[in-house]
Amino acid sequence: MNSMDDFLALLRDELGLQVTRQDVGVDLHHVAGWDSLYFLYLLTTLEKRTGRSLLLADLLEASTLNDIYALAVTE
Amino acid sequence: MSPQTPASQTLLEWHRTGRLASCFPGMPGMLAEVPDDELASVGRLLSQLDPDDVLGEHPATPVVTVAITGHGTLGQLTAPLAAELARHGMLMRALLSAFDGYVFDLSDPDSAVYAARPDLVLCVLDPMVVFDEIPVPWRSADAERALHDKLQMIGRLAAGFERHGHGTLVLNTMPLLRRFTAQIVDHRSRASVSAAWHEANAALLRMAVTHPAVEVLDLAPLLAEGIAAEDPRLSVYAKAHLSPALLARYARDVGHLARHVKGQTKKALAVDLDGTLWGGLLGEDGPDGIDVGSGYRGQAFRSFQRVIRQLGAQGVLLAAVSKNDPELVRAVFREHPQMPLREDDFVRISANWRPKHKNIIELAEALNLSTDSFVFVDDSSFECGLVRHALPGVAVVQVTEEPARHVERLLHDGWFDTRELTEEDRTRVSKYTDDLIRKDFLETFDSVEEYLRQLRITVHVATVRDDDVARVSQLTLRTNQFNLTAARLQPGDVHDLLTDPAALLLAVYSADRFGENGLVGAIFARRAEGDLHIENFLLSCRVFSRGIEQACLSVVLKHARAERAAKVLGIYRQTPKNGKVRDFYPRNGFVHVASEGPQMVFRHDLAEIPEPPQHICMVDTIGEPS
Repeated sequence: MNSMDDFLALLRDELGLQVTRQDVGVDLHHVAGWDSLYFLYLLTTLEKRTGRSLLLADLLEASTLNDIYALAVTE
Repeated sequence: MSPQTPASQTLLEWHRTGRLASCFPGMPGMLAEVPDDELASVGRLLSQLDPDDVLGEHPATPVVTVAITGHGTLGQLTAPLAAELARHGMLMRALLSAFDGYVFDLSDPDSAVYAARPDLVLCVLDPMVVFDEIPVPWRSADAERALHDKLQMIGRLAAGFERHGHGTLVLNTMPLLRRFTAQIVDHRSRASVSAAWHEANAALLRMAVTHPAVEVLDLAPLLAEGIAAEDPRLSVYAKAHLSPALLARYARDVGHLARHVKGQTKKALAVDLDGTLWGGLLGEDGPDGIDVGSGYRGQAFRSFQRVIRQLGAQGVLLAAVSKNDPELVRAVFREHPQMPLREDDFVRISANWRPKHKNIIELAEALNLSTDSFVFVDDSSFECGLVRHALPGVAVVQVTEEPARHVERLLHDGWFDTRELTEEDRTRVSKYTDDLIRKDFLETFDSVEEYLRQLRITVHVATVRDDDVARVSQLTLRTNQFNLTAARLQPGDVHDLLTDPAALLLAVYSADRFGENGLVGAIFARRAEGDLHIENFLLSCRVFSRGIEQACLSVVLKHARAERAAKVLGIYRQTPKNGKVRDFYPRNGFVHVASEGPQMVFRHDLAEIPEPPQHICMVDTIGEPS
């Protein structure tokens, strides 16, 4: 996963979320179809994609897709 | 998704273009080629499908209603479950309960779970059911007490489910985690905790014996495959106490249970020979040159054959399908000293040079089964691909060049899982072999009438007894062709009907010159408003088209007249597989009176009751004490 576009494609194809660039800064509560359960899918999937271990507590505190992406790609 | 396989890519394309619902019938064929680790992703998309959208386009799709309840967060179960059901062509209607809602769901007869009348209620138990109740500091006695209390409660919930529920309650054993046992530092006490834990799991497993409506899945063999029981982060932060991988594996077993409950259990296993049952090529290496019995690989093939034999002994019909010289093959099965499998373990050995799917079609016809009832095992990707393509309903298991993995490959899926074996299962192979002999016998006659006369068929119709309950339930689950409404009944449902004074439950036994056929049919009728309603009539595919069905109907009509019924009403509900009996009632003196969707109702006024066919000797003991 190299870019925000890759991340959005993952959300569309793995979670079935109809998201675009316009949604990345929106509060997750207002992202259509978002479910807090997706944090758990994303933990496993992002760890597999990036090869790095993520902190679930940080992920659970993310409030936008941007926050999640930042946690996934930050070294 | 970064799908590796063409099948995953196709599925993704269906999702992107909004065609998952319209392409649903193609799902089993497509999912058969999706590797296990990509199934959950597909399942997430499938779990968002509205079942009604699929039914709108494909009204005959079987739907499984599943209620999911338990102690922890279980949302992660719906995706793999949707995928596993779709693998079998079934559509999931899921009802996910509130967090930790299982006690309320199962103890309140008015709960949403009971109201939904699900086919399956999954009550997912996890280690925190117990450890959430244990104080700190704790000793082994605290764990033992908590286990005891929970078992008592779960036992009460299971009993309540039997009283108020419909369908099957699925419990599971609870994995024991080292992060708890290792909190006890002395080995003695730690062993006590483990002992109490395993005893509690054993007691859970035994609940299936005492409660016919309950099944208990043992998670221990799944964990022994190397699956982590939990991800502590998901457990601590999200209260998701079982790992996604374990839930996915559990979902596979539930998928097979659902297939069984919906009457789609596999019945026959067709196996290739060279590279599958033995090493080497029989045609080239000769009977003495193949690998079976001795040597490293020979032992592995022998172990695999023993497992096939074990399945055959439980009613799975075995057939060999091989591109080989038939005489050589026969010689190996008769004379090879180290072969666990022998000729009489098989209902048929098809050794010829024709395409394997054609052999399977022919075999299915000879056994009066649908090809969808078959599992096919081969080591050749070419043969597997061909069968998969030609017969998408056949479950294809491709074994590898490592024979020590054959058993694991075959048993990874519970294709032949059933809830209870009956005597019928243990003698099925010889009964089917007898059927093939009957077919050969038929070919010696000029007319079918003469054949039937010489067959000397006896039919006995009797009231269903307690001993017959398991077999009658099994008939409703396994019979697809001569099954007038396809109502599937669990043993508990049949039992309830036995105690219902308005219900009339009849068992049909048959025999002929070649031997006993056993309990081959059942008739479910109900007395209401002075009429007799035949709610279902089913007959094993082994015995229909011999006049037995007409003979039974004649007996029922006479019985109705003797009971002074005004008329008899017969119901037919169309399914994808029972088109053959659509005209059963009109061909036997009934007139069509109503239709509603796939259901038709027929009436017989009891004025003229046809006699049973002359070639059948009829014994009627309806109404006699059992």
